[in-house]
Amino acid sequence: MLAILLQLFIALFSSFLMVGLTSMYDPAALSQYSHYQYPIGYCGADSDLKNLLQANGGLRVYDMDLSTALEALKERKLSAVIYVPDTKPDAVDPVKITLYTIQNDLQAAVVDVKLKDVLTRYETDLRQVRTARLNEIPVPLDIPSTPGASSFYEFVYGLLIPLLVLMPAIISSALVIDLITEEYQNNTLETLLSTPIGLHEILWGKVAAALVLVPIQAGAWLILLMANGISIAGAVPILMQVTAVAAFLILLGTITALYYRERTAAQFVYSTAIVVVLLFALAIPGNPLNVIARLAVGAAGPEQWLVLGLVSAAVLLLALVADRFAAKVMRLSQSPK
Amino acid sequence: MGYTRDILTISRWEIRRAFGTMGKNVIPVAVLLLVLLIVVTGFTAKSGLHIQDGIYHVATDQPDIAGLLSGDSRFSTDIAPIRDIEANQDSYDLVITNNTVYVADTDRGKSAATTLSRDYSHYLTSVYNQENDLFAAYPLWIDLQTITSELDFTATQSGQQISVRTRTNLPPVPTGPVEPVPTPAASIGVTSEQLRTDLQQSSTQNSQISRYTDIFSGSESPLGTFKTPDQLSPPLPFDSIILVFVFIFPLYFMSQFYMMSIMNERIGRRGETLLSTPVRPSAIIVGKMLPYFAGMVIICAALTVWLKAPLLILLPLVPVILFFLATALLIGMMSRSFKELSFISIFFSTVATSYLFFPSIFANIHVISLISPLTLIILTIQGTAYTAIDYLYSTSLFWLTGLVLFYIGVVNFREERLFSQEGLLTKVSSFVSTALSRKHPYVSLFLLNALLIPVVFMAQLFLLVLFFNLPMPASLILLLIGAAFVEEVTKSVGIWSLMKRAPTLFTWRAAVVASAATALGFLFGEKLLLFVTLSQISQSVFGSVLFTSLGSLWMPFLLHFGCVLIVAASIKKGGKIGYVLGIVAAVAIHCVYNVYIIFGWLT
Repeated sequence: MLAILLQLFIALFSSFLMVGLTSMYDPAALSQYSHYQYPIGYCGADSDLKNLLQANGGLRVYDMDLSTALEALKERKLSAVIYVPDTKPDAVDPVKITLYTIQNDLQAAVVDVKLKDVLTRYETDLRQVRTARLNEIPVPLDIPSTPGASSFYEFVYGLLIPLLVLMPAIISSALVIDLITEEYQNNTLETLLSTPIGLHEILWGKVAAALVLVPIQAGAWLILLMANGISIAGAVPILMQVTAVAAFLILLGTITALYYRERTAAQFVYSTAIVVVLLFALAIPGNPLNVIARLAVGAAGPEQWLVLGLVSAAVLLLALVADRFAAKVMRLSQSPK
Repeated sequence: MGYTRDILTISRWEIRRAFGTMGKNVIPVAVLLLVLLIVVTGFTAKSGLHIQDGIYHVATDQPDIAGLLSGDSRFSTDIAPIRDIEANQDSYDLVITNNTVYVADTDRGKSAATTLSRDYSHYLTSVYNQENDLFAAYPLWIDLQTITSELDFTATQSGQQISVRTRTNLPPVPTGPVEPVPTPAASIGVTSEQLRTDLQQSSTQNSQISRYTDIFSGSESPLGTFKTPDQLSPPLPFDSIILVFVFIFPLYFMSQFYMMSIMNERIGRRGETLLSTPVRPSAIIVGKMLPYFAGMVIICAALTVWLKAPLLILLPLVPVILFFLATALLIGMMSRSFKELSFISIFFSTVATSYLFFPSIFANIHVISLISPLTLIILTIQGTAYTAIDYLYSTSLFWLTGLVLFYIGVVNFREERLFSQEGLLTKVSSFVSTALSRKHPYVSLFLLNALLIPVVFMAQLFLLVLFFNLPMPASLILLLIGAAFVEEVTKSVGIWSLMKRAPTLFTWRAAVVASAATALGFLFGEKLLLFVTLSQISQSVFGSVLFTSLGSLWMPFLLHFGCVLIVAASIKKGGKIGYVLGIVAAVAIHCVYNVYIIFGWLT
């Protein structure tokens, strides 16, 4: 009970963080400032850059003297200052401009984005002037600008969702270690074993309890994400993948716990092992986490069933090992010491 | 002298015990796993992380474009004649023909276009880097200078824009004295070969791995302040997540060992023998802690050296370590089973990690980031200096909270507390009640509430961090209720424990005196800490919601007193249900008071 409550809290909490983060860094959210005209100080020689700056609706350009402009910037009466030297567009040397911005300011970041657009365009123009001096012309590609594209799409679908649904699997596998070592360390196992229930029943009961929690928690995560307006294409297949992965991890935890029978050692070895396993899995193309990411965006093909099958086969193998091992442990504990 | 010797002896035992249990079976496996870890890390670094493979579906009839895309595993690319592509164009995120990109009108399509344009600019860079005439390929260089402006937290938060919008076409006139600034040189001052190597270096940084991590200054140009327009970008928020992984996770891991060591003493009353010796509980606690503390500091130092970062990083980490160990102690002393231990510690680590990580995202952007010690680490790595005030500001709460928690741990490190099987809430209340002296209950109520202030501030700052990003009215309202709730619950803890301990002794007179003592203690602690550390936040609108009691002394005292009395009275009348009702009423009154103060303040 406590487990699910805490999970739910963490879920709630993280989605709070998520919403905060996305709204903070989403360009669409930042663009609420965009109807302001940001004052820019322009110093030095006249150039095409000045025309480009003036043509940008979000900026208001003032001709100023550098020292005055910098003082005004410090007092936040300007949001950026540009100094342009008297270099010809077709000169041998590059045009080196100096850009002064305010540190520690979120709106300065907005201005930076606007200025970057203008400066990139100016660079393209200058490059055009100097194009005869280039030896190779790159493949041209015209990419339309996509307003409203969230820079968080890849973060959310390609990192957050796979890791979030994996979390219950990891937690459950740690839980199974707790459940098993507890019986050993509190000496409650002998009492349990004196009843007609065998070690196998106890063991598989604990594994099943830990496993059942996984799809419930992962499902809660997905529902929460969807409530936050993040659409998830293949929720059911995602849960199937996660459950298979969780079964694998839980069995790994079970074997570790049976071997060590002591929490500190078992948890230590297990958590190191899990890092190794996860790192290794991530390096393989088409790993379950990748399948989950593709399922979430709706780009998974039939290969997902192959991955699911492979993971399930590994689970069966591990289950066999765990069962044998439990039988061995049983025999050892019954034999006289 | 004897005390120090006790501590050292216990430390020595602890080390021997740790290696004893870990010894025979664990160390060979751990070594094997470590070797495996290194091998796997190498393998992963080579093959890259494959989480986002094939999330975009692209079709093109141009082999050269397909070649350009093949370097990015996020795209799964079909090459087909345009007629075939058009037949099922709905299944593609991007269709590229005739050197033009057509984007599907979905989030995925837009995101694919963003990724493509990023890839394309890398491709351009790789072509231009080979040019003989570098200044034809990169004709524009920007020398980026940042100016520190004195107005910060207060200015941006009270809704003031970066500048006033002038209706005239006249340039703004600064009010301060104008210091003459020398004109920057027109020449770049670096050879084109130097620039070329640096450009190549910065373009190779975008490998499979750095896409996910962007480890430390990864997004920083190695050119220093010189940048091409392409390299101008606002600071990315996710650098600090790496810091959390690198520094905080090992700490969290080590504190688990301490937690377990404390817990182990309680299993089967194993620690009884140690407690029956004349060694003081604080010596046991400190002695057991010392090896872990040293271990954590050594790990951090090793990491710092490995990262080639200045050792100054350790300074802000020490209070974090202390705080982690203090919570580990309490969790180890309170949980009844391993399950409970695991979950409370997972819960705690999530909250603590968010507290540390979330504000540091805004390092370089916003002053609020300074409430996390991680920000100081980021600043140090970036080579920005921070002042002693900054240090005090971001670590004082960790120091104080850590010490308070240790104190509660030490006074409760006794047989009847350690080996009881009470529920968690009962346990918290009895822990607090032990901390209250029997002879001078009111003095200890006063002290308890003063000491709890750091915890309250931490919780409130946490709320600030949490709600800071919501739209303005919602964030303010949630903060208002949340802050009042935290304060009222904290104030009620002492009274509740006192009443539980001796319900008969708790007369109406006692309730009033206890409420007064609580209110006074709370006020005293609040005032003290506010003036020491939090003046920056307390000046903003958010601050005035959290810490209203800055004005006169009488008003806030009456508020605290009244609210505590309400809670005390309703516990006395209605027990548990009364407690809940009392808290609700007190929070409501607190909110009304705060709203009144803020609006009084604003107008």
